[in-house]
Amino acid sequence: MRVFARSLAKKTVLLSDGTVVGILHNITADLRTGMLLNIIVKPAKNTNIPELEKQDGFYVIPFETVKSISDYVVVDKKLLKKY
Amino acid sequence: MISEISSIIGLRVYTDEGRYVGKVEDLVIDMEKKIITGIAMIEYNRTLIDKKSGVIIPYRLVKSVGDIVIVKDVFKKKKEKEEEKRAKISF
Repeated sequence: MRVFARSLAKKTVLLSDGTVVGILHNITADLRTGMLLNIIVKPAKNTNIPELEKQDGFYVIPFETVKSISDYVVVDKKLLKKY
Repeated sequence: MISEISSIIGLRVYTDEGRYVGKVEDLVIDMEKKIITGIAMIEYNRTLIDKKSGVIIPYRLVKSVGDIVIVKDVFKKKKEKEEEKRAKISF
């Protein structure tokens, strides 16, 4: 499935168990090869998810763990533990 | 070069031969392959691209991204082919 990058902005990010992580802020990529690396999520209020890595107040989640993107961005919690 | 993809939006695109192609409006992402597959462009050079709207160039043409985006010049070949065709017809 192909999507426009802009259409992903401000989508809600959920874990596969239903926990709200926050709002999609940006995506990092290797711009030379085009490989997508991480999604950067602005945390929702009162969230504390120990599995996730936090950098400068944003969650950095490997793109490999993203299960699907449609109305919400869903991150696989099982895959998350491997990273 | 690892960077946020929003940093590429708005950059001007040139070919490796120094010709202006257009401005980056959006990126096309392949969710299964987890790669960027294309660049959607606005304000594109109409002498290179003869299309009214909706121009997407494949990301594999991208050579480097910095203050501008440099892509492989594939437009020249198209134009030359057309000229060749015209030349053949005129003969």
